Amino acid sequence: MAHLAHYREAHPMVFVVTHWINLVSMILLILTGFIIHYPFIAGIMGICRGVHLFCGFVLFFNCLFRIVASFFVKSAPTGGTRKMVTDYKTWLPQKDNRHQGGAWIKYYLFMKKDHPLSAKLGVPQKISYLCIPILIIVMFWTGLCLWGATMNWAPIAWTINLVGGAMSIRIIHYYMMFVFICFMFLHIYLANVEGIAPTKLMFARKEHGGLVYDPDIHNIVGEDFDPKHD
Amino acid sequence: MEENAMMTDALGILESRGVTRRSFMKLCAGVAAAAGLSSVAIPRVAEAIEQSVIGATSGDLYPVIWIEGASCTGCTESFAQIETPDVASVVLDVISLNYSETLSAAAGYSVEEAKAQTIAAGNYILIYEGAVLEGWGGNALRAAGETGIESLVEAAESANAVVAVGSCAVNGGWCAAYPNPSKAVGVQQYLQKEGITTPVVNIPGCPVNPEWVMSVLVDVVMLQDPTLLELNSFNEPAGLFNQTIHDNCERRGHFENGEFVYEFGSEEEKLGYCLYPLGCRGPQTKALCGVTLWNNRRSWCVQAGAPCIGCCEANPNNPGDNWVEVNTPFRARFRDLRIQELKFQPEPVAWAITGIVAVALVIHGFGMKKTGRMDGGAPFEPIRKWDKNHPNEAIGTYADPEQGGPVLSAELVEDNSHKPSAPADEVVADYEESKE
Repeated sequence: MAHLAHYREAHPMVFVVTHWINLVSMILLILTGFIIHYPFIAGIMGICRGVHLFCGFVLFFNCLFRIVASFFVKSAPTGGTRKMVTDYKTWLPQKDNRHQGGAWIKYYLFMKKDHPLSAKLGVPQKISYLCIPILIIVMFWTGLCLWGATMNWAPIAWTINLVGGAMSIRIIHYYMMFVFICFMFLHIYLANVEGIAPTKLMFARKEHGGLVYDPDIHNIVGEDFDPKHD
Repeated sequence: MEENAMMTDALGILESRGVTRRSFMKLCAGVAAAAGLSSVAIPRVAEAIEQSVIGATSGDLYPVIWIEGASCTGCTESFAQIETPDVASVVLDVISLNYSETLSAAAGYSVEEAKAQTIAAGNYILIYEGAVLEGWGGNALRAAGETGIESLVEAAESANAVVAVGSCAVNGGWCAAYPNPSKAVGVQQYLQKEGITTPVVNIPGCPVNPEWVMSVLVDVVMLQDPTLLELNSFNEPAGLFNQTIHDNCERRGHFENGEFVYEFGSEEEKLGYCLYPLGCRGPQTKALCGVTLWNNRRSWCVQAGAPCIGCCEANPNNPGDNWVEVNTPFRARFRDLRIQELKFQPEPVAWAITGIVAVALVIHGFGMKKTGRMDGGAPFEPIRKWDKNHPNEAIGTYADPEQGGPVLSAELVEDNSHKPSAPADEVVADYEESKE
């Protein structure tokens, strides 16, 4: 047993919901986006465009909500604890992350045998998660550049001209979808490669016993064999 | 030599040609529609045509100079096809075309003199066709002892307005496509650089649609007030260029239904389905082709079965955003990307990078399996490396400040596993209650 206990405090219900919304809307956006790019399945362009637009707005507003909520909702700053802090603090560099970036990279490159002590989000994870809202917003904006209803709005038109025309926007939008796809590959892989307990917790709120970590002394303090709700 | 063409009694002339008042009003309606004006504007157009130009009992026709830059003369050819009104009426009755390399009957010294006199008299419109070439020290397009640039600057300075017809005149068009050896730019950008403030009206297209030119002539020349023209941020007539081809496409219904032509010569093509998979640029090209139509309103590219190739794409401030550069190859959904001389389509690169990421993760997964990390990961490090090296600035508290190790404490375990130290949010509180 090497992993930390998985408590629901790591992912309060409201973020479980936003995570579900992210998952569903991103997958629908990617699938419908492929059809809109090239309709290799005939007969579904209208519905794909409708779903794509709807999910685009859902993803964007969900992202805004998630950012705002992080200033009001509390969550656990590390794994293996039920202690909580305001959620945005778990997204910014924490004391538990300090000097641990190299350790994480070495661990994943098999140059370090033992698992780095960490916050709820490790250093590479935290950096990539911080990029995702920016990506979502840029993706939403480039989407508006391609949508007939918004393409003449002055700030949108300015963006289109900035990158050299609608064709460039189209290519940027397309490439950024692949950034999302690659992120999803990495995210799904890293979240599950050491066991699917984090996934059970995130999607089904199923807790799991493990080592207990105290975020105040920044170290492991024992083990919780039975979180009672397993 | 008579300097100004004269015309009197418009309706008399029209009647002598068998044009009734009724058909004159129909013409005005057509012109108003082509200009993107509402039907409310028809009487205004008629009044303007009657009173300001044709109808003036002792008026001058509006002088127009038509200069060709780096062009194929396709826009002149296109304009020569117009029949609403036909080009003879336009050239002889509506405007006074004092200079045109292609259409002027005169040639040589006399036509150059006519141009010089028109410029000296002022109060004229300059129509410029083709790109401005800055290459070769500005020595290109030499005619009558002047370089192309000199004749543009000279004619533009004293004009009431410059009408840039065709995509080449707007931003260099295909002349500006990579590698742009002649350093082609558009009229607006060049005049800006030269500090010439004459207003420019851009009408892109390859070639330009003659009815769009006609509508601008009506607004600028006949109404004698360029401010009546509603221009967008590209200085294009907003009514003509603010909507995409896709917005007004007659095949749009098939697009929404998902009925597409995937191959020329197919059953779908016979059924008139949408040409999107064949590279149609309609969704990103702004022009009113599908409404104005071409060849005297008989047809247009998409009706004839050809996907839009986006010939009206032209940012007047950016020669790089010319329609050939951003739309070729026409049959592909994307343009080619270019690094130096290397050209490639964006899709395969995106798929290749994604494939590499996927393969790398699979290989990494084998590594994780081999190192036994798949069941819960590797054991935790007893101490952070930094803490070991900097015991005085250590982040964590350890059983041993040098060797590290967990601080085993039943009390802390209890604290962290059962008693939230911070107040729980509502959902967690609910959960705690339901647990009991």
